[in-house]
Amino acid sequence: MELKHYIIRRILLLIPTLIGVTLLIFAVIQLFSPVERAALYIRDPRQAKDLPGIIKKYHLDEPVYVQYYYWLREVLKGNLGYSKSVNMPVFDAILNFFPATIELVLYSAPLIVLLGIKLGVLAAIHKDKAADHLTRVSSIIGWSLPSFWLGILLLAIFYGQLGMFPPERLGTEASVYVNSPNFIRYTKINTIDALLNGQLWIFIDALKHLVLPVASLTIQIVALIVRIMRSSMLEALNRGYVLAARAKGLEEHDVIYKHARKNALIPVFTVTGILLAGMLTGVIITETVFNYKGIGYWAAHAATQLDIPAVLGFALLAGVIFVFTNLIVDILYAYIDPRVRLG
Amino acid sequence: MAPTDKFIPVLASEVPTVENGLISSDGLTYTFPIRKGVKFQNGEPLTPEDVEYSFKRAMVQDRDGGPVWMFLEPLLGVYSTRDEEGNIVVPFEKIDKAVEVDGDNVIFHLKMPYPPFLQILCQSWSSIVCKKWCIEHGDWPGTAETYPKYNNPEVPPLQEIAMGTGPFKLERWEHGVEYSLVRNDDYWRGPAKIKRVIVKKIDEWSTRKLMFQAGDVDICYVPRLYMKEVENLPGIINVKNLPELMVSALFFTFEIDPTSPHIWSGKLDGDGIPPDFFKDKDVRLGFAYSFDWETFIRDAWAGEAVQRPTPVIEGLPYFNPDQKGYYLDLKKAEEHFKKAWNGELWDKGFKMTLLYNIGNEYRRISAEIWKRNIESLNEKFFIYIRGVEWPLFLKDMVASKLPAFRVGWIADYPDPHNFVHPFMHSEGAFAAWQHYKNPHVDELIEEGIKTIDPDKRREIYYELQKIYVEDCPSVITVQPLGRRWFRDWIQGWYHNPIYPGFYFYDLWKGY
Repeated sequence: MELKHYIIRRILLLIPTLIGVTLLIFAVIQLFSPVERAALYIRDPRQAKDLPGIIKKYHLDEPVYVQYYYWLREVLKGNLGYSKSVNMPVFDAILNFFPATIELVLYSAPLIVLLGIKLGVLAAIHKDKAADHLTRVSSIIGWSLPSFWLGILLLAIFYGQLGMFPPERLGTEASVYVNSPNFIRYTKINTIDALLNGQLWIFIDALKHLVLPVASLTIQIVALIVRIMRSSMLEALNRGYVLAARAKGLEEHDVIYKHARKNALIPVFTVTGILLAGMLTGVIITETVFNYKGIGYWAAHAATQLDIPAVLGFALLAGVIFVFTNLIVDILYAYIDPRVRLG
Repeated sequence: MAPTDKFIPVLASEVPTVENGLISSDGLTYTFPIRKGVKFQNGEPLTPEDVEYSFKRAMVQDRDGGPVWMFLEPLLGVYSTRDEEGNIVVPFEKIDKAVEVDGDNVIFHLKMPYPPFLQILCQSWSSIVCKKWCIEHGDWPGTAETYPKYNNPEVPPLQEIAMGTGPFKLERWEHGVEYSLVRNDDYWRGPAKIKRVIVKKIDEWSTRKLMFQAGDVDICYVPRLYMKEVENLPGIINVKNLPELMVSALFFTFEIDPTSPHIWSGKLDGDGIPPDFFKDKDVRLGFAYSFDWETFIRDAWAGEAVQRPTPVIEGLPYFNPDQKGYYLDLKKAEEHFKKAWNGELWDKGFKMTLLYNIGNEYRRISAEIWKRNIESLNEKFFIYIRGVEWPLFLKDMVASKLPAFRVGWIADYPDPHNFVHPFMHSEGAFAAWQHYKNPHVDELIEEGIKTIDPDKRREIYYELQKIYVEDCPSVITVQPLGRRWFRDWIQGWYHNPIYPGFYFYDLWKGY
């Protein structure tokens, strides 16, 4: 099958996937009574007199298919609804919160993948030696640390004690400047916008704020890649073609890095795709601890308040991200391993 | 503490009183001379027409869950512009006639005398907007025919923007993240000393604390649970024992929905309670004498709350400091439980569920105190405590399914009417769910709100406080004492319990 057709087919498959996901969410939501769902609009017991009006206005007591119809009709018009938990349209909320998460992933994902591959290879080629033990133990420790604990620890040391890397996305001065008319927010990704605006000091400020959340994510997630890379590499090193390469008299460096590593990368790609999609759809605890408000923070906040339009909007976004990430991984498979055919 | 019944004229050049003739002797007409020379932040001059428009716009808009009922009640004698089905029931003519311009004055015509009217006008929901600017930005054009279109909007036209006459302008609002206010250098009382105020939402306490400690945060909300962590930190000031205009209570439901699962068997058979369980005053008094305020204030409030006998708490006009209330006395509780239901309750025992919303430790602890003390009186008494999420709690509360419920009340405006009505009037927010009705109380409350003479009002509210204790429709648990936390370079702060937060105009930074 041609690559173009394959991509089109996968994108078309997105539509039933998203309908399925949103229908499922609607079905789960019906477990809550109309009053419970209307409670989002009521912060104070004295406002409870407005409950019947709210239920009627938002069709909360209608059958599930009617509610789904109202929602879908609006979605098709390009209106994802209104997120009451943050008081803005869902689409705007996604545009507002997603860039922060993209920025976090932009810096942490390459670090996680490259470091994971490097350490995994290192551990494999020094199997059962000090480097292997050290890598494995430290990655297990990183993986086992509760993310909120690690985040708070990093903050307490590097911000509280050393005053080096503050939380949030920007310092006060930079934040005021970024939000002034002198600064154009092309992407809402601060480091990129800073460079596009030629404001190096804002770029540095944004980087300073990224250090701890990126470090926290890297310490935690890199372990997964290390372990997969190590076992995949060990398997590859025992394969016949590696033996053949060695027998041909190739340099050990070339055997490891040109032959074994390339083949060992396939399982890493699979995991990286899922990992990336997972990170893009929310690193809730990291975002909360560092007050780095991204899409995960928004979705979790909305879910706890039964902000249904927000949850549905987020589900749509997550569905799109997962489908596209898997698509990219599949295409990359075919590129890395010519034996794989798209179909 | 700043008094809550003294007024400073701001956009009105004079505070209306009966003495200066700006409040009519029957209390039905309030005249506000509008200050001259005041400008909006966009440079437009403030006019009486803007003031008139602001109040009419608010009444036209009247959003679900909004504060406009506070104008509607004194001005039109209704709580909402709509019925329960959402249909508009208040004609525009009524709104139109309630507020009018007369030369440099704005006149409010009240449906009935309403002494707290000035208190209501002193708060954020009475903010004055520029008519021209509002219309330019898509808000209500000021016409009768557009009233239905602008009533109860899902998203109000000015949701994202603000522009008034005040000392700070809304510079930016990142929803759910932060907002910033920047000084209005042309403010008519002179510019504020602080140039910019940024208000951030930092959910994680450890992060908030580190930022407060580092001095990146000047003023911080510190949850009671974490107060000890910051109490003695250098550079951080906390002012404590500030009476808050809020109160919490245990409300008894006089007619519980018979389908409620929280009354177990639904009968007085030792395995449940009947729906009218709390109609028996001895049951209510048994509960009242079983509560241990000392333990509750110590364990749940870290000592920072006070017991009050009635909902008319300190800080409100007509608070009676000599009013006696209930206290922990298990012997008296036992006596009342023995008398309840003609002795049947003591012989058969009961089972009921007390719900609290998860995360509200005050409610959990108070429920546990009641459980422990009441169950200690008779081994046939059983109270099951269950934590549920807020939506579930709310659902059962409004449906009168909770045998008893613990909730709090925060002042909308500092007047006893705002407290006795929800707590005691048969149509009040809590009393209606409880199905509590005392016709004499209803009469007194209705008289209290129409009475202008302060001495007569005092008499009425003292009487209501007395009846509250006698009738015991609910038991007040505490009036919290608040704290404010700020860095030691923050100057100019004073406590006014009706301010929702800090009033930034008065503050400055320095030593």
